[in-house]
Amino acid sequence: MKVSLLLANYPYVIAVILFCLGCLCILTQHNLIKKVIGINIMQTGIFLFYIAVGNINGGVAPIYDPNLPEGVLYINPLPSALILTGIVVSFSVTAFALAVIVKLYNYYGTVNAPDIMRMR
Amino acid sequence: MHLWKTMPFLLIILSLLPAFVMAIFARWKREVCPYLAIGSIAFSFAVSCLLAFRVMGGETIHYHVSDWLPPWGIEIFIDELAVMMLLLLTGCFLLITIFSIKALPKEIPPLATGWYYTLLLLTLTAMMGMVVTNDLFNMYVMVEVTGIGACALVVAKGEKLSTEATLRYLMLSSLGAGFFLFGIGFLYQITGNLNIPYVATELARVREQYPFLLWATMSFITVGLGVKAALFPLHIWLPDAHSSAPSSSSAILSGLVVKVYIVSMLRIYFMVFGFEVFHETYMRYLILFLATLAIIGGSFFAFVQLELKRRLAYSTVAQIGYIFLGFGLGTVWGITAALLHIIIHAFMKTCLFLSAGAIYYQTGRKKVTHFSGLGYQMPVTMAAFTIASLSMVGIPLFGGFITKYALAMGSLEANNPYFIILIVISGLLNAAYYFPIIWQAYFTSGHDVKLKMDLVPLTMLIPIVIMALGIIYMGIFPGGPLSFLEKAVTRFVF
Repeated sequence: MKVSLLLANYPYVIAVILFCLGCLCILTQHNLIKKVIGINIMQTGIFLFYIAVGNINGGVAPIYDPNLPEGVLYINPLPSALILTGIVVSFSVTAFALAVIVKLYNYYGTVNAPDIMRMR
Repeated sequence: MHLWKTMPFLLIILSLLPAFVMAIFARWKREVCPYLAIGSIAFSFAVSCLLAFRVMGGETIHYHVSDWLPPWGIEIFIDELAVMMLLLLTGCFLLITIFSIKALPKEIPPLATGWYYTLLLLTLTAMMGMVVTNDLFNMYVMVEVTGIGACALVVAKGEKLSTEATLRYLMLSSLGAGFFLFGIGFLYQITGNLNIPYVATELARVREQYPFLLWATMSFITVGLGVKAALFPLHIWLPDAHSSAPSSSSAILSGLVVKVYIVSMLRIYFMVFGFEVFHETYMRYLILFLATLAIIGGSFFAFVQLELKRRLAYSTVAQIGYIFLGFGLGTVWGITAALLHIIIHAFMKTCLFLSAGAIYYQTGRKKVTHFSGLGYQMPVTMAAFTIASLSMVGIPLFGGFITKYALAMGSLEANNPYFIILIVISGLLNAAYYFPIIWQAYFTSGHDVKLKMDLVPLTMLIPIVIMALGIIYMGIFPGGPLSFLEKAVTRFVF
């Protein structure tokens, strides 16, 4: 059944929903700050996707522990490590975008995109 | 001997380091900054020449960063394509930086002149990294760094228009990077690898099982890198960003930055997905269609612009169309033409934008309607401008003709001769918006003209002249570059 398949893979569904929401936010919001929030939502969706790819149901964090029972599965640590880099990149993009928006605010006195277009 | 082996890594690190050292000089000794940047870029150029020498000898260079072997670690892989891009990037950056010594203080606020070189070196480093890396996630990081660096090069001017253009550029480029990252995520999910050859072998084994996921991956990567490379309907950020930047930034953005994304795309299509998938999934037809739109649309938009730099920016949209056209034809001649156009367009656009900068420096004119008599006031600059324009139009003996010829050969090879008509039409359109400028400059100034020498400093004239000579060289002796590029293409296509 298709619906049960979707429900079983709910992290992917949420990742896709977040990604779409973020894209929509970037493209349709008028407020520049909201656009930046949209970028962050979109990137969060992608990060969730990577984490979901690396995850194993019932797996534990990939740290060796002698007390764990035999045959326990460790999750894949690589996507988490990649996403750490991704978070840094997304942070720097956000910081830069906000700096540019502050500059625009100083010039125009508003952060509303249509108003800025009208004042040009 | 150890140094010889770590050369590819040094190339990246030793241009990243001066970028941050520059910040110290930017505070106290601002006038040293350009020379430090030139030294660093000249070093990169020398290393690239050495690498090129090694690759010409027939070897390809693999370097494993901090000795982690390929499936786990990041690998640097240098083949003919990477070497070509390295030489092009460092060479053009060297000339543009020499140009910017005198031109920059007139175009951006004095406080920013030191920091500007930090951004310049960061962008160069990220672009070199993107070209040489063999790891998909590393490629994404480099794509993001290039995006931020390029945006910062635009905003350095600090005017209303450029700030606004930067924000739009930044939004769309991080959107594109998001799409690209999602595409890489799909590839990682399918294959469990990030190293390009490993992904390719694994993908060839399992791709029958995931037809839809393969489609999704290809479209995500096409859209992601297409936004960054300004493929036609996704080009909306380009004209504002490229025309409102300082002229040395415009030359970098228009001549080089949009090209490295195309090279990454080429690598992903042909080295990850392989030639068959490219032909089977009709991605080729989409690219051909968009390239046709870009060539026609970009030329028409350029035709109606009155400001010189805006006209040049729209012309870039059309020229990107040529590169994608060769790429979409998917034959040896076609892809060779695309790579050749990457080189020649870098020469032409850099020459044109630097000339525009020189014209602004001497006369303060920006509109193409105010150019009368310029051919006699600035003979050297206008001569270079004319050479680049003739090359854009595709007159024989200039570089542009060679790519048009190679594209025509490619479309015959792909059994699709209609594209020859497109190439001829676009040549005429190019003539329609470049020749009026030249006409204005030489033939509309009455009788009382006296020939004077340019009043711009030599450091600005020499890069322009070298670029113009490069265009003529490529037009008259295309044999060497062509055979080298053909070797590069045959390595990854067949």
